[in-house]
Amino acid sequence: MLKYHPDTRFLTDYAAGSLPESQALCVAAHLHYCHSCRKHISELMELGAELFMTQAPDSVNADSFDKLMEKLDAPQPEAQPGTLHTNQVQSTPVEHEALPRAIRKITGGDIEKLGWRNLGKTFRYSTIQTGDSQRESSLLEIKAGGEIPKHHHGGDEITVVLKGSFSDQEDRYHVGDYIVRTSGETHTPVASQDEDCLCLATLDAPIVMNNWFYRLVTPFLNKPTSSG
Amino acid sequence: MNDSIVAWSECLEKIASKGDREAFRLLFNKFSPLIKSFAIRLSSGTKSENLAEELVQETMLKVWQKAGSFNSEKANASTWIFTIARNTRIDLLRKKARHQNNRIANDHSEEGFDVEDIWVEDENEDVFNQMAKQRSIKSLHETLQELPEEQSFILKKVYLEDKSHSEIAQELDLPLGTVKSRVRLALNKLRLTVDRF
Ligand SMILES: [Zn+2]
Repeated sequence: MLKYHPDTRFLTDYAAGSLPESQALCVAAHLHYCHSCRKHISELMELGAELFMTQAPDSVNADSFDKLMEKLDAPQPEAQPGTLHTNQVQSTPVEHEALPRAIRKITGGDIEKLGWRNLGKTFRYSTIQTGDSQRESSLLEIKAGGEIPKHHHGGDEITVVLKGSFSDQEDRYHVGDYIVRTSGETHTPVASQDEDCLCLATLDAPIVMNNWFYRLVTPFLNKPTSSG
Repeated sequence: MNDSIVAWSECLEKIASKGDREAFRLLFNKFSPLIKSFAIRLSSGTKSENLAEELVQETMLKVWQKAGSFNSEKANASTWIFTIARNTRIDLLRKKARHQNNRIANDHSEEGFDVEDIWVEDENEDVFNQMAKQRSIKSLHETLQELPEEQSFILKKVYLEDKSHSEIAQELDLPLGTVKSRVRLALNKLRLTVDRF
């Protein structure tokens, strides 16, 4: 079913840690569903470790180890070995568990709790804040059989299907698919008839207005003239 | 090579089981100069001495704290520590960027992802056979020496200099496609490609 994967560029930049957070969010969502890419990432991490180990060492400050020992001796629970566990993401119903970790974190178990904006009767979106000021990430939901208004891409867009499926002129996309659309392409995504479709999307675009709809229909009119 | 992989794993296990500081010192002596070298470059491209020391401290502190979650059947010690160093680097750079952006930040601007929410550490990964793993690492090590200079040069930039493909393309004044294809050629030689690509 899963057919569209991030290319080598996205995977190596993700493994190396240099991929912008908003795009890494999309890669992470894909990895949640794709065993083959997870395996590839762990190989890319081994390559990274190999390069890491063969670097020319750079001497650390003479007191570096002692400073660290002081931290370990500080009477804080964090100083105990083996006690740090990555933040527990809230336990939630089974269906919710199917979503990638970062998405579970922002929805907290219930996507209705997010601030949604409706655009027409069949489409709504909710903006996700990341540390990336160059791009905008959002959750998009298209109701069963509904569509996103025909639009033009002013910049690159990555979409990952989280639930349901949608089609455009070229193909039908299922859960986990990682779809890249480049600047200038026009398309009209339509959700399948039987199920609502939830997607994660990251769009290369300056964040100018809060109303996403205006950017969808007139992306070129809303470019900022200068940054302040 | 194989001996040291086992030795570093044992250090981590000793730290986890009895808070062994001698084992920790051995790890520190080996890895901290590598972490410092890996370190952090500011957006200007210059290396920051303070950030580099901070990265060493933060990474090694996490190595101590997380030693209990290290599983020698799932990962090599070097890959495990490299992963922690990478995540710590991302975290420090994010904090720094957030600090700089403070003046334009508004109250509802932070959703607050932790680095591990996005750079998830081995989510239900396969358990590899330790021997097979060491074999593949050895051949990786050898094949890396045989790569053409232009390919290994770019791989090092990708992994060690914290530069994305686009940033490297800009810096070297090459088309993005050229950077991508050099990385792909290198991965082919290292046999690190998935069939579908
Ligand atoms: Zn994949």
